[in-house]
Amino acid sequence: MTSKLDFMTSSSGLSRRHVLKGAAAAASVAGFGGLSRLALADSPLKGESLHLSILGIAGWVPSSLGVKMSPIFAEYAKQKYGYDVDFSFADAPFSALFQKAATSLATRSQEYNIIISDSQWLGAFAKPKWVVKIDDLLKEQPGLTPEWYSPVISATYQTYPDGSQQLWGLPQEGDVVALYVRKDMLEDPAEKEAFKKKYNKDLPQTFDDFAELTMAEFEKVAEFFTRPDKNLYGTAMQYSREYDFISCFLYPFMWSRGGEIWDPKTAQVHGILNSKVNAEALEQMKHWLKYMPDGALNYGIAEEIDVFTQGKVFSCFQWAAVGPAMIPDALKGKVMVVPPPKHGNGSDAKRVYTFGGQSWVINAFNDENNMQATIDFMRWWYQPDVQLEYAKRGGNPCDKATLSRSDFDDMQPWFRTYKYMLAEGRSRDFWHHPKYAEMLSVQQEAFTSFMTGQTSDPMKVLDYVACKQQSILFEAGTAKEKAPDTCASISL
Amino acid sequence: MQSNRSGSPASRGLLAAMHPTGQAGLTARFFALLNDRRFLPLMLLTPVLVFFIIWNTIPLLWLLGLSFQKYSLTSGDDPAFTGFANYLEILGNSSVWQDLSRTFVWVFLSVVLQTGLGVALGFLFWGSHKLPGRRIALTLLFAPMVLTPVATGTFFRLIYDPTFGILNQVIRAIGLPSVDFLGQSSTAFWAVLAVDTWMWTPFLMLMTLAALGSVPKAELEAAEVDQLPWHQRLRLIILHHGKFILMLGVLLRTIDSFKTMDLVLQMTKGGPGSTTNLVALTLYRQSFESFNLGWSSALAVILLLISIAFTSIFIFVLNLKRRGDAA
Repeated sequence: MTSKLDFMTSSSGLSRRHVLKGAAAAASVAGFGGLSRLALADSPLKGESLHLSILGIAGWVPSSLGVKMSPIFAEYAKQKYGYDVDFSFADAPFSALFQKAATSLATRSQEYNIIISDSQWLGAFAKPKWVVKIDDLLKEQPGLTPEWYSPVISATYQTYPDGSQQLWGLPQEGDVVALYVRKDMLEDPAEKEAFKKKYNKDLPQTFDDFAELTMAEFEKVAEFFTRPDKNLYGTAMQYSREYDFISCFLYPFMWSRGGEIWDPKTAQVHGILNSKVNAEALEQMKHWLKYMPDGALNYGIAEEIDVFTQGKVFSCFQWAAVGPAMIPDALKGKVMVVPPPKHGNGSDAKRVYTFGGQSWVINAFNDENNMQATIDFMRWWYQPDVQLEYAKRGGNPCDKATLSRSDFDDMQPWFRTYKYMLAEGRSRDFWHHPKYAEMLSVQQEAFTSFMTGQTSDPMKVLDYVACKQQSILFEAGTAKEKAPDTCASISL
Repeated sequence: MQSNRSGSPASRGLLAAMHPTGQAGLTARFFALLNDRRFLPLMLLTPVLVFFIIWNTIPLLWLLGLSFQKYSLTSGDDPAFTGFANYLEILGNSSVWQDLSRTFVWVFLSVVLQTGLGVALGFLFWGSHKLPGRRIALTLLFAPMVLTPVATGTFFRLIYDPTFGILNQVIRAIGLPSVDFLGQSSTAFWAVLAVDTWMWTPFLMLMTLAALGSVPKAELEAAEVDQLPWHQRLRLIILHHGKFILMLGVLLRTIDSFKTMDLVLQMTKGGPGSTTNLVALTLYRQSFESFNLGWSSALAVILLLISIAFTSIFIFVLNLKRRGDAA
């Protein structure tokens, strides 16, 4: 276990000369008035007493870890820079956090000095210049962040517009979709025998077995464990209309089968999202409802945790970030976290799931002292020892040094899968556009209307979403083409 | 008249004695203003008017101004005047019309159900003065009304839950299959409406009790002596005296029901699909999730006009009745 002393004595990797040189340049960066104190000295806050406020996601372990570890930074700052700093934490659920942050930032307030942003919000924070443009900062202070484990990390947690080199956030928590399965049930000899008898196949037992598993093969496992008379079901996914829940779990059905949701270069949605393969993906996701408990149509993150931890489902497609909640003490040793199955058959089978996770974004209206302390905090956060401690406490780090450690895979039950799914091509994020909330709202309504039977034609659902999103992007000046005339009368 | 404006000679003498300097004149003039019938109403109204202008008139004008602009908080662009573009877009938007029609159905059903049940319960309690435990029963019945919709929504979401909910435990216990009340498009609207009815029926009961309390006992006793049939007592005495209070209750519930948002947001988020998506929820989403402030201001103005239309119709009907009664 790394002691607090280790954090305090470890070097940031920057020499004093380097910091001063970088800081002097940082002071000259337009729009970074708050950073100008860097030009004065490497500890301009010596003797000051500061308060920093973090806004994060309510009930989300990785967000709270950022705050729980902040006293360690306070001690570090006292020793290394000579100032006192304390932290407060404000939070809101996923669906309300952007609203809370935006209404504060729109008034140019520094109520929240650091905000934990869902990756898709980057555009909405960046476009009005509410948050600090990180690449300007990184150019002047190259040692601020470490090397990431995979190039997709920067694309997911830092970049807006998509495909550009502009960075607006720093990865706080990496996250991927994982499959949580009941290892004790899989290993039960009676279950193994019954499965073999019924399907003439062996129940998958190991990480490697699941890494090779396709959805068609996993369906047999889910069907096998679906026993409504015993109040046990095969699996659970998220179908809720809330926030981005159903979207994040539908996209793997689309992407893994070759479907796309838009062209990020032209912002064209119509003709791309409303494709036959995506319509099949909608039908496939609906098909899986038969292996889930009644009420699965309302499942979000919390409901999935409830049914899994109460033993009502054998398996659960769920975020790796909620590992600590999915595997409480009572289930320790009984749960295995594995890669979610591939879609398709044979050599064509592919696995492309959705990225979760959040970024740190820095309030652009921070005053000089708070901006300096925030940068100190970020520099501290990415130190290898701090990232290691974060991982040990259940957070998912993104830096190469921590993820490449030989003991990383065994540090937490979901880490091996997390690392596996971080590999390029296995997970993707979706739009970071400022109109994210509006585009999301349209499809959440439409996708759930199909799942619940309010609309029966999947192509009609996709046409509706494509029309609406094309219009939104065209009006925002991002899409080159406006929605076709056929969209004028479209409804669900 | 002079003495009315500047206070009585006695009070003037008292003030002069208390404040022998120039301040006495100032204070005296203040009290004189208070006593002046021309200024007193204005002075009494001023604090209320100031609050009204700050908290109501200015925001309303601001809202009206925003409704003619294209303004998204997250675009980073300045507001741009677009005339009636937002209004035209809303009027041509089929989703908004669907939400509006769903909201009208919601308002009609909720007000009819709540009025029917509230009036029935009000009559029951009106005639049960000697019933043991009446006060406790009344307190319990009023409890739903004082709970916040967010708390109520949370309770009922759990109660309705098909896996853990107590309602489905009962349903399963009597041998029926569990029902996903909030997850099915065929049941979600009714399930939320039932909760709204549970919450707001007590309000109509309260208004009914107030209306019944306004009926003169002497007239009821006279009707008793004259052995007037019950339906005539109801029409000629009870409704004659109580209808204005009752109609006020119906009017308030209609306006309030039209604004329903928090309960639906908590229970279904407008889903499944758009089954429970009321227009106030659309307004909330456009304002505080999408931050389309121009568009949502235009929608808010349209909803305000609809609310004013509701109120005007009610007041017109009431006045028509009153004029008819007077004639």
